[in-house]
Order: sequence, then C-alpha cells, then structure tokens
Amino acid sequence: MNRRTTYLQDPSTPFDPAQARLLPQRLEIRTLHSAKQERLTVPVELLLSGTDDGGWDAERFTVRWASGDAAAAAAGAGGAVTPFASRVSGGLHVFLRPGGGQEGVVGEGVRSDAVCRVLKTVFGSEVTKCVDYEKSFTRSDTSSEYQFYSPLASLEGLVDFVREKVCALDTAREEPCRRHARELLAADSLDLAYDSESRNLVVSAFWADAPGGEGWTEDLHAPAAGSKGKMEVGLLGAERTADPEEIKMGGLLGVVGEDEKLKPTLFSFASRHHALPRDATFSVEFPLPTGLHPTMAISLSPAALQPPDATCALHTYLTLPSYLFGDKYQLGTEDPLFLDSHHLVKLLSVTGETDLEAPDWSVSQWGSNWLLELATPPEEQSPEEWNVTIPLHLRYLAPSESGYRSVEVPWPVVFWACAASEEAKMHFNPFDRVDLGWEGLFAPQTTFYQVNPAAEQGRLVEEISVPVLKETGFFNSRTIELGTVLAIVLGSLWVLWKLGAVMRTSGTRRSVESQKKSQ
Amino acid sequence: MSNPIPPSSSKPSPRKTTSTPPQKHTLFTPPIIYPLALLLRLTLLLYGTYHDAHSALKYTDIDYQVFTDAARFTAAGGSPYDRATYRYTPLLAWLLRPTVWPGWFAFGKVVFAVADVAAGWLLARTLVAHRGLREATALRYASVWLLNPMVANISTRGSSEGLLGFLTALLVHLVLGGASSSHGRGTGRMGMGVGVGRVVAAGIVLGVGVHVKIYPFVYGVSVLLVLGQHQTQHQNQQNQNQNQKQQQHQKGLGLRLRKELTPARLTFTTTALLTFLALNALMYHHYAWPFLHHTFLHHLTRVDHRHNFSVYASLLYDSAATAASTSTSTTSTTGAIAMRFSIERWAFLPQLLLSVLVIPLALARKSLPGTMLAQTFAFVAFNKVCTSQYFLWYLIFLPLYLPDSSFVRRPRLGVGALGAWVVAQALWLQQGYNLEFLGRSTFVPGLFVASLGFFAVNVWILGVIVQDVGALGAELR
Repeated sequence: MNRRTTYLQDPSTPFDPAQARLLPQRLEIRTLHSAKQERLTVPVELLLSGTDDGGWDAERFTVRWASGDAAAAAAGAGGAVTPFASRVSGGLHVFLRPGGGQEGVVGEGVRSDAVCRVLKTVFGSEVTKCVDYEKSFTRSDTSSEYQFYSPLASLEGLVDFVREKVCALDTAREEPCRRHARELLAADSLDLAYDSESRNLVVSAFWADAPGGEGWTEDLHAPAAGSKGKMEVGLLGAERTADPEEIKMGGLLGVVGEDEKLKPTLFSFASRHHALPRDATFSVEFPLPTGLHPTMAISLSPAALQPPDATCALHTYLTLPSYLFGDKYQLGTEDPLFLDSHHLVKLLSVTGETDLEAPDWSVSQWGSNWLLELATPPEEQSPEEWNVTIPLHLRYLAPSESGYRSVEVPWPVVFWACAASEEAKMHFNPFDRVDLGWEGLFAPQTTFYQVNPAAEQGRLVEEISVPVLKETGFFNSRTIELGTVLAIVLGSLWVLWKLGAVMRTSGTRRSVESQKKSQ
Repeated sequence: MSNPIPPSSSKPSPRKTTSTPPQKHTLFTPPIIYPLALLLRLTLLLYGTYHDAHSALKYTDIDYQVFTDAARFTAAGGSPYDRATYRYTPLLAWLLRPTVWPGWFAFGKVVFAVADVAAGWLLARTLVAHRGLREATALRYASVWLLNPMVANISTRGSSEGLLGFLTALLVHLVLGGASSSHGRGTGRMGMGVGVGRVVAAGIVLGVGVHVKIYPFVYGVSVLLVLGQHQTQHQNQQNQNQNQKQQQHQKGLGLRLRKELTPARLTFTTTALLTFLALNALMYHHYAWPFLHHTFLHHLTRVDHRHNFSVYASLLYDSAATAASTSTSTTSTTGAIAMRFSIERWAFLPQLLLSVLVIPLALARKSLPGTMLAQTFAFVAFNKVCTSQYFLWYLIFLPLYLPDSSFVRRPRLGVGALGAWVVAQALWLQQGYNLEFLGRSTFVPGLFVASLGFFAVNVWILGVIVQDVGALGAELR
C-alpha cells in the first residue's frame, strides 16, 4: 500500500520549516494551514481478502463523492492557483465499465447486482435507487460506461465501514487507522478508482482546509518494516506560468522512512482543470412557486462571464435525480426565441431517464445528466448579473401525510471549456482528474475553468417542495376508492335508467301500434 | 324570432328554436359560411405563424412537434416511433411528410383545418339530405362546428382531431346521406336501402378510423344495427301483424340470428375488419413491434397518473403509488399482493357496457348520429383518461343532434347544461392550475371533488341526450 500526502499551501500563507519536521520514521506536521490531499494506492487483492464478494471484476470502476458544502467551496479552489480545481455536483457519482468482453457473458465482468451491493455496504443504506447496474445506472450512447448518482450528503457510512471492516484487517495499526478514518468525515471530496489493468484501488480524499481551523497537526509514519508500502509527502505551493494552460508547483518533497530530509523541488505541467478568480461565481435557485415545473435559475457574476480565452464556451452540467427531469425536445430545440429567452445556446448531451410521463416510482434509473452550452451577454452589454434559466419538470411522487414531499437537487457545475494546444500533455499532471461525467463529453485536448459556486451557507443543494396526494384526513385512499366507485355506479345507473325509460316507452308505443294495426 | 348568431363560446350556444323557418336574407349560405370558416382558420394559422416567430411561448401544440419530428424520422428512413410519445398511426407521419420540406412546416395544420372544414361540409350535407333541413338551417347547425373557435383553434394549433372529425362525419354521411327522406323531417328508418358502394365505403372509413384512434370501434355496433334495419323491421312488422308471437318464439335463436345477418351488415363488417387488419399489417410490416406497442398496447397498459379530467385520476394515482410501494417494501412476500383487488382494472366494464352495448341497442334504431353522440359522450365520460382534446370527439355530432335536442327546445336547459359543463371544467382547471403552477397540493379534495363534479355534469347531460334521442323514434312512429 502506497500513500501520498500533499499539503497545498497558498503562496501568501507563511511557512516555518519547524512546521514540518522529518524524523527517521515519521514526519511531524504542526499547525500547517493548507489544503490536503491524501492518496492511497491499494492492491485490490489486499481488499478482496476481507470482503468476499464474487463476480467482481470490473474493467474500470470510479467513484466521485463531493460534500457539496458551501463553506468548503468558498474556502477551497476559489481564487487560488490549484491543480484541485475540478468539481462534481454534491453527492455520490459512480462510473462503471463492467468489462467481461461481450455483453451478457456470465462469469467475467461484474454481476449486475454486485455493484449496488458493494455501494450499499461501503457507503451505507442511504445509497438509494440502486438495484443493479443494468437497471439503475444510466448509459450514454457514445461510451460503454455506466453512470450512477445518489444525493449522499455525508461519508458516515464509509467511515463506519472503514473503521469496522478495513481497520480490523491490520490489528497492529487498528487504532490509528480508526482515528484516521474519522478524518474522512470532514473531507470535501473523495475519489475511488479501480481498473483491472493495474488491479489497484486508488483512494483520494481532499480537504480544502484542516477541520477546526487550527491547521494540520499530525504525524505521518513510515510503513511498517517489511511491508511493500511507501509514504510520500509533498509540501507545495502552486503558481501560474507564462503558459496559461500550465501550473507550476514548488516546495518540498520526501519519502518518510527513506529520505533524511525533505528535498526542495520545482516542476510544472499542463493542467486540464483550472480555477477562476474568486469573484467569478454562480448561484442556483428555483424561483417560487415551483409548481410541477420548476425552473432552475443560474445567476452568474460579471467576472464569471469573462472567457479565459477566445476559444472558450460556457457550459453547465446538470445532475438531476429521477424525480426532476428535462424535456429533451423542449431543451433540444433550435428555436432561437426559446433559447435566447433562457440564455441557452444548445443542449449538447443528455443521458439517462428522460421519459416525459412516468411517475417516479416506475422509473428504475437514478436520473439524468444534461450538458448545456450557455449564452453570455453581448459584448457591449455588461449586466450586473446574468441569469440562465432551465425549465424542468417534476415526476409524480408517492402520497404523503402532509400532501407534500421535499426533494433535493444538487447544484450543477458551471465551467468554461476551452481548446487546449495540441502538444499539451495533461496526463503528465500528477493530480490529473478524469471520469467526472462531464469532461469526457469534450475532446481530449480541452481545458476547463471552474466557475465558483457561491452560497451563503449550508450545502450546494436546493430543496423543492413537491405537491403530492395527501393520504391522511377524510379524503384518504378509502374515501377516494369509495367515492370513485360510487360515482361510477350512480352515473351508470342514471344512464341505464334513462335508457330503460326509452326502451319502455318505445316498447309500449310499439305494442300500441301493433294493436291498432291488428284491430 | 330566432336570431342565429355564430357560436362564440368554446361550446356551441344552443339555438332558441328549430321550427322557425329560415329568414330570407340569411347569412347562412354556402358562399358565406365556408369562406368564413376557411378565413377563420387562415387567420388563426397566420396569427400562429406570426406568434411563434416572435414569442418563446408557442401557439403550436406540442403534439404537432411530435408529428413533425416523427415525419422527419420517417423522411430520413427511420421509424416515427423513434420520437418519444409518438402514439399514433404511421399514416399520420407519412401524411405530414411535406412538413419536412423547408417552408412547409404548416402543411399539417392546413391539412387538419381543411379536414375539419370538410367535416363541417359533410355535416351540412347530411342535415340536408338525411334530415331534410333547408340549406340555411343546415348550415346554421353545421356552423356549430364550422365557426366554432375551439375547433378552429385546435386544428390550427396542429392537433389531428380534425381528421378524426372528418372520418366520423364521413361515416355518418355514408350510412345516412344516401337515404334521403324526401318526406321532410327525418326518419326513424334511416339507413334502409344504403347502396353496396356506400356500405363498402363506410366499412373502409370505420376501419381507417379505428386504426387511427381505436375509439371509433364503438360506432361499428350502431352502424350495424342501423344497416340491417330495413329488412328486420319489415319482417318484425309482418310477424307482429300476423300476431304470431308464439310461432316466432319457436323459430329459435338460429333463425333469428340468420335474419340479423343481412348482406349489408356482412359487407360492412368485412370491409371494416379487412381495412383495419390490412392497415395494421402494413404498419406492422414497416415498423413491427414499436407500431403495435405505441399505437395499441400502450393504451391497454398505460398508467397515466398525471392529473386529467377523468373521474378515475385520483384513484389511479393512489393505487399505482401504493402498489409500487408495497411491491418494493415486501418483495419477498409475493402472492398476497398480486391478489389485491383493484377496481381500476374493471374501469372498462361500465364504459364499454354503456358505449358499446346498451346505448346502441336502445338508441341506434332511432337516430344514428344521436346514438353515436351518446356513445362518444359515455366513452369519454367513463374513460380512465380524459383531456380536453377528447371533447372534440363528441362535438362533431352536435350539429346533427341539436335540431332534435331539448337543449335547443328549452333554452334554459340548454344554457344551464352549457353553463354547468363550462363551470365544472373551470373549477377543475382552477384546482389544476393551483397544483401545476402554484405547487399547492390540491389532489384532495380539490381535483378529486372537481372531477366528480365534472363527471356528474357529463352524466346528467348524457341522460338528457339519451332521453332526446330516445324520444325521437317514438315521435316518428
């Protein structure tokens, strides 16, 4: 097991060498104010020995979780030069390439229900709407990748799983492991990535700041003697270079247990993801009343509307749980009047559940993803605020006691996508991040500039109150059933009675007639 | 004394009286009414085009986008069912193929509008030929359809109901139009002596109608009853004249049945069935399973929970949601739930009992259009799904029914019925608006009670129609 810990300090934050002391077997970090990324690389055999789960041989399996915490978003990437700028909507995103050669071949690849079982075991039972990947995951037309999302707000399930199942594997280190796992509760994002080629599971967690505001104070230990692991540490700062695509990083690097002291370093690389200045922000709301057709309104600050360069276009990528959906014909229109009135340019991609009529309970997929290109104000015009609106629709939900149900919709990500130079080799970036759902919809040579979500507080999630059938009170199921049946029966009887009257009169008339005739 | 004003509301305003002879200088002449009807539609069409070019909120109906998208798919060699929510016969997509050409987008609307004017023309012809009305009087009644803004609006927004109106008006015209009653006011024996050509044509029209929208199959029963009327009535009378009821009883069922199987009925049934099957075979050949699924099976399995005028809407929502939650929470304990008695499965029973069986049997021999109106009214009122488009299905018969209607004879009743129909709808729509746009939970009691109220109004109106149509035949004898 290899571990790589990176502390990323803002260049303006003071640094005293005493804050990071390398001893023979450990590195002492003291009140270090910085962002942190932890990355563990674990051979998958090591994990499978504990959790005996058959039918698990995915070609590629990636999990992206983001807390969607407003404060973290504000304290995080915004403003600074950072290789950790990329974002996904708050919640749990899963990407799966089942592998196993041809579809439907049994024995290789992933058993279709195994993924959901694993997700529920690892992340807890809050992972809803996951039955098996054939039914619950969505799949784009262009790739063989399956995608899943669940609006998971916290990593408590994962922390419990790690503390009880994973830490127990190494009894010698159980206590520090459990303590370490708790830190995950404060993480802003977590990535899991597995691919069958390396047979490694890579776990990365990111904290925009140390929890508690006192900075990081911790000891990083060298791996136990005899184990094959490695403990790498970096204390870095990031800077812009003359090339806007590049990020330059400098600072100290070291391997705990091998190096005698931290070595100064300076390197630069082309980065796929970049942050925009702090004042380039967007915020999201659903103006009231939302009714059954909520409109997502994205407000962009003037700075967010400045394209990083001439090749760039502004986009948003929506992650909509099944209860909320877009009409792909409405949004996919080329009618300039419609598009202009919403400040949209074009619907570029839709995957997932887009049925226009189905109620939520009959939808098996988790939901849908939408990539839209957004319009920016004409150059001569520079409004204080620019609103993009996306008309959406709600599905019918199950009845409730109050007559309403509250649903959560994560904020989308908003970014500029720009053409990168042909020679930019972005995978050389040690912090490169792909498989985010949206970045794969662009050409490989594309750079992204994230607009910063700006929320006052709380989470980057909007709540919508959905009117549903009220199941309590006088008008409950029983009354509805009886009332309907009664109406139908009475209505039918009324019409039958009228018809009977018609038959009777024409019958008597006929007999009168025939009597007359026969007389 | 009657002052014929073209209807201005969404529903025809009832005439004060029918027996008044038309005034000499009447507006209701073909050179005025038809151009007026066309002008109304042309104006709306042009307005719609202008409006759509200048507003993000479109005049054009969403269904028309579906049709034209489907036409584009077929033009590109694909299937119309590649367009989600295309639930119609491929004929429609083929018919609208020209909308794919640049500048021809409105072609379908023109077709629909022309079809509904043609339907109005057929209504007027039927009223003259069969009902023996004067041209001007016939046109006055036909104007209930021809100059009805609701009809013109629906067609020019691009809804295909006008085509269906044309088919049903043509069916009535073919069955009735030939049996002209030169002896003035209508006959209870319409349909006798309908030529073979007309019977075949009527069969084809019904076959196409059922293929296009299923529900016209209910008309098959009443047309069949009307078609054989001449012979059976004649024989019945003979029997009754001889007063040999005992003997007739002994003749047995077989003979009676054979008597019912007249050549006209057989011809009609055969052509209708053959047309229906041939069209389906053709469409199945082209689009296979998606065709069957979307045009027919969808309607059997459909669970439309979105609120609509139907009296069943709340029940369907509740029971579907409950069924879904019990099946997910107790997947292991199967059996008990599957046996759950569900009323909604039996909703077709009262609907079909009335519209296919009892109404035609009781009324068809008295008036074919009156019966078809009652059948359609019952079919729509007792349907599991009901939207305002469905109202056009029975609106087409109004001009043929109004001359004999007590809604016209007794204006207060007529205005009352129209008022109740409109108010009941308005109440429902208000609840619907509160739900749909203000997000208030108005399912109960709001929408539920409003739909019960609308159902009650519909059933009451249906009762009056039944009474009127029933009285017709009796009067004539």
